[in-house]
Amino acid sequence: MNAEVELAKKIVESYDGPKIRIMEVCGTHTHEIFRYGIRRILPKSVQLISGPGCPVCVTPTGYIDEAVMLALDKGAVICTFGDLVRVPGTEKSLADARAEGARVKIVYAPSDAVDYAAQHRDEQVVFLSVGFETTTPASCLAVRQAKENGVENFSLLTANKTMDNAYRLLKGSTDAFLFPGHVSAITGTKIYDKLKDEGICGTVTGFTSGEILTALAVNIKKVQACAPFFVNCYPRVVHEDGSPAARKLMAETMTPCDAEWRGLGRIAGSGLKLNDENADFDARLKFALPALVGRSNPVCRCGDVLRGVCRPDECKAFGKACVPEHPVGACMVSSEGACSAWYKYGGDL
Amino acid sequence: MCVGLSAKVVKVGDGTAIIDANGARREVSARLLDELEPGDYVMVHAGAAIAKITQDENEETADVMKELCE
Amino acid sequence: MMKKNITLAHGAGGRDTSELIETIFKKHFDNPDLTADDAAVLSFGGKKLAFTTDGFIVSPFEFKGGNIGKLSVCGTVNDLSCMGARPLYLACSFVIEEGFPLEKLEEITAAMEKTAAEAGVRIVAGDTKVAGKGQVDHIFITTTGIGEVLEGVSPSGASAKPGDAVIVTGDVGRHGCAILLARDEYGMEADVTSDCAPLWGTVKSVLDVAKDVHVFRDATRGGVGTVLYEIASQSKVGIRLDSQAIPVDPGVAGVCGMLGLEPLYLACEGRLVIFAPRAHAEEIVKVLREGKYSRNAAVIGEVTAEAPGRVTVRTEIGAETLLPPPGGELLPRIF
Repeated sequence: MNAEVELAKKIVESYDGPKIRIMEVCGTHTHEIFRYGIRRILPKSVQLISGPGCPVCVTPTGYIDEAVMLALDKGAVICTFGDLVRVPGTEKSLADARAEGARVKIVYAPSDAVDYAAQHRDEQVVFLSVGFETTTPASCLAVRQAKENGVENFSLLTANKTMDNAYRLLKGSTDAFLFPGHVSAITGTKIYDKLKDEGICGTVTGFTSGEILTALAVNIKKVQACAPFFVNCYPRVVHEDGSPAARKLMAETMTPCDAEWRGLGRIAGSGLKLNDENADFDARLKFALPALVGRSNPVCRCGDVLRGVCRPDECKAFGKACVPEHPVGACMVSSEGACSAWYKYGGDL
Repeated sequence: MCVGLSAKVVKVGDGTAIIDANGARREVSARLLDELEPGDYVMVHAGAAIAKITQDENEETADVMKELCE
Repeated sequence: MMKKNITLAHGAGGRDTSELIETIFKKHFDNPDLTADDAAVLSFGGKKLAFTTDGFIVSPFEFKGGNIGKLSVCGTVNDLSCMGARPLYLACSFVIEEGFPLEKLEEITAAMEKTAAEAGVRIVAGDTKVAGKGQVDHIFITTTGIGEVLEGVSPSGASAKPGDAVIVTGDVGRHGCAILLARDEYGMEADVTSDCAPLWGTVKSVLDVAKDVHVFRDATRGGVGTVLYEIASQSKVGIRLDSQAIPVDPGVAGVCGMLGLEPLYLACEGRLVIFAPRAHAEEIVKVLREGKYSRNAAVIGEVTAEAPGRVTVRTEIGAETLLPPPGGELLPRIF
C-alpha cells in the first residue's frame, strides 16, 4: 500500500460519526470488497449495502425458461457466460437442461459465439446477451460481426439493461453510491453530474484495493460535509466522455425498451433490445418464443437483497436450502451476486 | 458486472488487437477505441478493449487523496 | 441435499465429491481399513504397505508438459509418496476408444515407462479394453499402486497441529491452467506448462531432513485450496494464509485474471502441500528449493487452533478474509 492508500484506510477505519450508508452497485465491487478484507476493517457506523448491479441476478427467472426452451424444444446451441449456467429457472437451470441433452457452451466473449456459429452453419446458435453498459457493446459487436460475415444462424436472446433509472429508484436507500467503474468507462461521467443535481451522490470507483479504499474515504468525507457531490475516483480508466464509439454502436444496434428487474419490478426505458434493422438476430422473433413469465421459488428473497432491504444472511433460505451447489435464487449462483459473496466469504464473521 | 483486466496492447490489426496480461494473450476487439498502438495499456472486458488506461494506479490514488485533503 | 443424478460437480473433487463418497461409497465400503487419505496404509507381513488407485480421463489427452500416460503414473506415485511410502509397483488398465491412433498409444505408453523409471517403480500388470466409437473419450487410464511405508514415518491428513508451517512445493494452478489452454475454448495463449511430475524424490528429500512432517498431500483436481480445506477439516484446525507469499506463475495469473478464476483452486499435478512443525520450516524449504520439481517452494501460511475447519487469507491491505470454500464445477467468470 502506498502512503495515500494507507491514509484512506485510516480515514475509513477511524470514522466514528453518525451512521453512513454506502451502496455498492456493482457485483464485482461486492466481491472484491470481501476478497480484500475491506468489510473487516469498516467501523460499525459505515454500512455497506449491496445493490442491483449484478446483471445475472436482476434478470428475471423467465429469461432462463426462455433459454431452456430454446435449448430443449428448439434445439439451439446456447452460448453463454459461465455465470448463467446454474441459475435456477422455474423448473430447471441450463445445467439441468444440459444433463438432459441440451447443448450449452460457455464462452468468454460474445464474438466467440459468432465464431462457433460460423464454423457450424447447420446449427442454430443463440448467445445469452445479459449485461449492463460494460458488456452490451460486446454483444453489439457480435451482431455486427455476424451481419458482416453473413452468419445467419446466430442470434441473441437479449436482457441487456442500463443503470441510470435504477439509481433514481434507489435514491432513498442510501447516502451515497459506489458507481460502477467499467459501466462508467463506457457511459462517461456526465450522467453523474446530472444525478448529483437530483441529490444522488457518489464516486466512480475502481477495482483494486487501493482504488476501493480511496473511494470509500472520499464518500465518507463528502457525506460528512453534507453537500451533494460526485467524484471520479477512477480517472485512469473512466474518462469524462467515456467511449463515444461504444455508445454509437449500441445506439445503432439496439433500442431502449422497458425491462423487468428482479426485485425492482418494471423500470421504464431501462432495457435494450435489438432494433428493427437487426431484427433478424433477435432470437425471440426468430424462434417465435411465447411470452414466458417465470416463477421464482416463493422462499427466495433475491428481490429484497437486490433492493438493499435484506442482507443475504437475513434470508431464511440462506446457507440452508440455498447454497452455491444448489441455489434457490440467482444471487447465490452468480459470481457477482451478493448472496454468493456473502456465502463464499463467510459474511460479517 | 465489471470483471475487467488491464493488459498491454502488443499488436494492432483491423479492428482488433492482441493484448497481453502477464503473459496471457488473446485477440480482442479494438472497435470501441480510437487509435490504439502497441505499448498502450487498455482495460479488457468480454473480449473487447473498453478503455485506454491513461495513468499509473499509484499516481491515480495519490491524486484522488490529494484533492480530498485540500 | 443429494441430487438424483451424477453431475459434473461430483467429479470436481470438492464438496459434492465428498458428499458422494460419504453417502454412497463409505456407506457400503464400511471397514476399518478404508482411508480418507491419499492411500490406504495396510499392515502386511510385519511391514506397512500403502495401496491406492486413481483414474485418469483428462481431455485433451496431450498438453504442454505431458500426456495422460505421464499423468497416470505421477498421480498414483504421488498418492503413495504422500503416505511416506516408497512407490514400488503399478498396475494399469486402459480403456481405449475404437479408432484411437496406435502412434498416440505408443507415445502414451513410452511416457508412462519414462516416468515410472524416474519414479523408481515397475509397471507389472495391466488390462486393455476397447470401447466402441463415442463410448469413451479417446483413452481413459486407471493405475493402481503399492509402496512400502518408510520406518517411523506416518504422515496423515488428520495430523496437522496448531503452530505448523504450511508449505507448498511450487507455484500453484499450472496443470489446470495448461489444460484450459490446451482445450483452446477461450482463444487464449500463454506459456504455461503443466507441473505434472513424480514426487517421491521430493518427499524423500524432505523426510531426510525432517522425519516428523505431519502431513504431505498432493494437490490435484481442486488445487491447493481444496487440500487446505480437507486438512483443516480432517485435523480440526484453522489455517491462515499470507496472500503475498503464495507463488503463482505470471502466465497463470494472467489467464486467471482474464477468466476470473482463483489460482488456488486450479488443478496441480506435481505439487505437494506440507504441514510441518514451524521449527523445521526453513530447512524444508531450503532442501525443496534444491530439488528439480520444487524450485519455488514457499511457506504460505500457518496452522492455528482457532476456528477449526476454516481457512483465512491475510490480504494485501493487511486484513483477514475467508478463502472461499471449494465447490462445484469450475466455471469461468465474465461478469
